[in-house]
Amino acid sequence: MPFDVICIAVIGKTNNPLYIKNCSRNAAYPDLKCHYIAHTAIDLVEEKISTTKQADQYLGLLYALEELAVFGYITNTRVKFIIVTSLTDAAIKDQEMKALFRKIHNAYVALVSNPFWDPDAQRVISSPNFDRAIAQVAAGSSS
Amino acid sequence: MLKQPRQTGDEIWKTRIDKISAELFTLTYGSVVAQLLKDHENYIEVNKQLDKMGYNIGVKLIEDFLAKSGTNKCGDFRETADTIAKIGFKIFLNVIPTIANFSADSKEFSLILEDNPLAEFVELPENAVGELWYSNILCGVLRGALEMVQMQVEVFFVSDILRGDDVTELRVKLVKYLEEEVPAGED
Repeated sequence: MPFDVICIAVIGKTNNPLYIKNCSRNAAYPDLKCHYIAHTAIDLVEEKISTTKQADQYLGLLYALEELAVFGYITNTRVKFIIVTSLTDAAIKDQEMKALFRKIHNAYVALVSNPFWDPDAQRVISSPNFDRAIAQVAAGSSS
Repeated sequence: MLKQPRQTGDEIWKTRIDKISAELFTLTYGSVVAQLLKDHENYIEVNKQLDKMGYNIGVKLIEDFLAKSGTNKCGDFRETADTIAKIGFKIFLNVIPTIANFSADSKEFSLILEDNPLAEFVELPENAVGELWYSNILCGVLRGALEMVQMQVEVFFVSDILRGDDVTELRVKLVKYLEEEVPAGED
């Protein structure tokens, strides 16, 4: 059962927001809600990595709201990716989420490899290639 | 070599070339350009510096090229173009540009690069588009290398995918042969 990706967020290593994109169709959710969910997710990510000793990058389901599920993924450089999806009847498989996160990670690597992107500038990501890749990830899952 | 240049190029690439990681190469070139930008802050100046660096590289690279490929002297400028595209670019960058737009007097041609290994993952900042030729080092390399084989050429970029154009195109113009040799093959 396909699920909808509502929001994708990229958080930097000092917990600064690098990229928050509202992918919900018909703008069902306001942007502010996406920011809020991403924020709460950061706390849960911190909790998960401090309690469990596992070195796994995929953090799984962080928490669930009334009809939303939030998944997390952290890279070894402490950059976090958050995906918010709509809950469906069927459980969302880990494999699928891992595949999505891998695509986001690849897009992030391509961004970082750009010699003109300064990681210390702490600015929001504005690269059109990255935008396109994330849009594809969001669109690809809700087919 | 009586073999086709494309075959020669492929063979040399497969057997006689040491290879390094493509990402390492791209990132190294990227950081060179980024550093030049920080030092000069003027895109025209950076273009000139890249051309100068390329020239120095070309002057030395031609020896390596001749040693590895063992090609004979090119009969005319068309053969030169062929050799550059099918052997030169193939050995050093593993891409073969298309030769196009040969002028009527056979003194100018274009090289069209479909993918440019130097510019992988690169996105130009907004104020650079329109002024910076990111791969300008290639112009210098061709100029330096050809000067060492007695050809004075002008090489410049006509279009670049990084700037939003459709293709990356380099124009090579023969200015003159540097010795009083009769240029063979004046068609």
